[in-house]
Amino acid sequence: MKFIISLAFRNLTRYRRRTMITAFAIAIGLMMFIMVDSVLIGVESESMRNLRWYETSAIRIMHEDYWEDRLMKPLDVAVENPYDIVHQLHQSGYDAAPRITFAADMILYSDEFGEDGNMPVQVTAIDPLLDNTVFRFAETLIEGRFVEPGAMELVIGSWFAEDIGAEVGNWVTFVTRGNGGFYEAMDMQIVGIVNCPNPNVNRTLLMVPFDIVDEFLAMEGTATEINIGLSEQEDISEAKLHIEQLLGNTGQSLKIASWDELAQDYVALAEAKRGGTSMILFLVFIIAAVGISNTMLMAIFERIRELGMMRALGMDDRTIQLTFMIEAGGIGLIGSIVGVILGVLVNIYMVEVGIDLGFLMRDMDMGYRIQSLMRGAWSVKTLVTAFIFGTVLSMLVAYIPTRRALKMDIPSCLRHQ
Amino acid sequence: MIQVQQVVRDYHTGETVVHALKGVSIDIADGEFTSIAGPSGSGKTTLLNLIGCIDSLDSGEILIGDQQVSTMDKKSKTEFRRNNLGFIFQTYNLIPVLSAYENVSFVLSILGVPEQEIKERTMRMLKEVGLEGMEHRRPGRLSGGQQQRIAIARALVKNPKIVLADEPTANLDSKTGEEILQLMQKMNEKYGTTFIFSTHDVMVMDYAKRLVELHDGQIISDERRQ
Repeated sequence: MKFIISLAFRNLTRYRRRTMITAFAIAIGLMMFIMVDSVLIGVESESMRNLRWYETSAIRIMHEDYWEDRLMKPLDVAVENPYDIVHQLHQSGYDAAPRITFAADMILYSDEFGEDGNMPVQVTAIDPLLDNTVFRFAETLIEGRFVEPGAMELVIGSWFAEDIGAEVGNWVTFVTRGNGGFYEAMDMQIVGIVNCPNPNVNRTLLMVPFDIVDEFLAMEGTATEINIGLSEQEDISEAKLHIEQLLGNTGQSLKIASWDELAQDYVALAEAKRGGTSMILFLVFIIAAVGISNTMLMAIFERIRELGMMRALGMDDRTIQLTFMIEAGGIGLIGSIVGVILGVLVNIYMVEVGIDLGFLMRDMDMGYRIQSLMRGAWSVKTLVTAFIFGTVLSMLVAYIPTRRALKMDIPSCLRHQ
Repeated sequence: MIQVQQVVRDYHTGETVVHALKGVSIDIADGEFTSIAGPSGSGKTTLLNLIGCIDSLDSGEILIGDQQVSTMDKKSKTEFRRNNLGFIFQTYNLIPVLSAYENVSFVLSILGVPEQEIKERTMRMLKEVGLEGMEHRRPGRLSGGQQQRIAIARALVKNPKIVLADEPTANLDSKTGEEILQLMQKMNEKYGTTFIFSTHDVMVMDYAKRLVELHDGQIISDERRQ
């Protein structure tokens, strides 16, 4: 065995340039894999955080019937006595805040926006005192201030503000139907602009005070949702189960949904993108397989006579096969080591600096909840997978050309030029 | 004792059939120094390959000692070659990335000989063939004659019953060729190993103690010399 390994590794130096080119091809493939996987993990984890911090919260409580029709934003199937539930949750150690979301037409006026116009929007009524214990909008305020209870005030996402040319101090009117179907109009002044890292929110965010909406839309103290914040370390399914038990005696049929149920579109997308990683892995597989197979094919056919000599001297086919497979494994090993080193170096940049894709994200919805900077994340599993994959695959693809060569009879091998 | 009985070997290339050996029979006793001579295409390499268990015959039989080698399966032939036969090739067929020492010792490695014994036997054999002090050199840094000496050492280091050499001097100048033949002769006398070598060189034939001449796949003469 010692001899076989020694022979295999010495043969690597025999065709040094070819070995290095093939190993380099494997290294580049593995580096790409590590980089793409790192970015996907990084983007997924940041998206998840931005979803929970700015869009869905960790867990949301709704009326059972609201969940069914949630896209229609009905106001008549709301959670009753939301503050009692919030209080109960607070007592059990959960940060919670009620919200009312409703669909409206937003009317813009020519004296402030250049021309008159209206557009369909979704408005979120928040409790300014509680909302920032669950969500993180207070940290994203770039202009003005946050809405205050009892005031006809509005906070808008920065991209939305840019799109409509809104500035702090401008007035808009929301026309909507209240609880019961009556028409209502609310004049609101923009008091703050937030630059939210979640692009979906930043494009559409309109936040108004909860008590104003409660009064204008006759919600009678109900809320369409209660959002609960959890730290990233907390087990969501465990917390969900606990909250279900906790609220079992409210006398309301409530739907308690975790963030991934609420963001099904994103979860499906993330899964599809993970499929993309497998495609990259497959491409790496093709590059490595073709490269090594070709290298080994040439190496073997240049050494047919030597192979014949080994067989004539009594070396069995399995040992010869193993020698060539170890040799190919050596190429894979060099490629994997270099690939992992390059991958780590590139990943340091990806984790520390990242790639700014703000120019793309501004006008394009990629589904990810990141605004501009794509950062990588460290994954030991990816590095180990890449390393093992590069080495083992190299050994496997050497099997076929060696098998072919070993099918030749020994005199033909010895005559081979 | 090698017994070749009525051996027929045909090669098929497309529609053409080449009758390489047409019922060849020959007995070679242990320790003989035999040359198989004849022009190109006479069947001498085919006969060596069949005795060396690296080719299969169409009819007839070959016995080496008491073993019927012509009917052995591939695995048994490999094992038989490993334990009993040594080969010397016209083009030396050394492994270029291995040193002279490693080129010789690897046949003992595949036999599973202990490390210390490998070292002793290899060094002794390299000394015997006149390569003492050159054991660390790779074939690329040695002359043709020195490379063929490594091949002889490689063939003999495992103490085989038979050494088969296919035109061992064809790639060497006459002086070096003669030195190689003298070395082979010396080894034959010292170890009693049976040597069978093919050639079409008259000088080489002169060294043989037995000269078997082949022509068109048939033995036309078999002469023992003093």
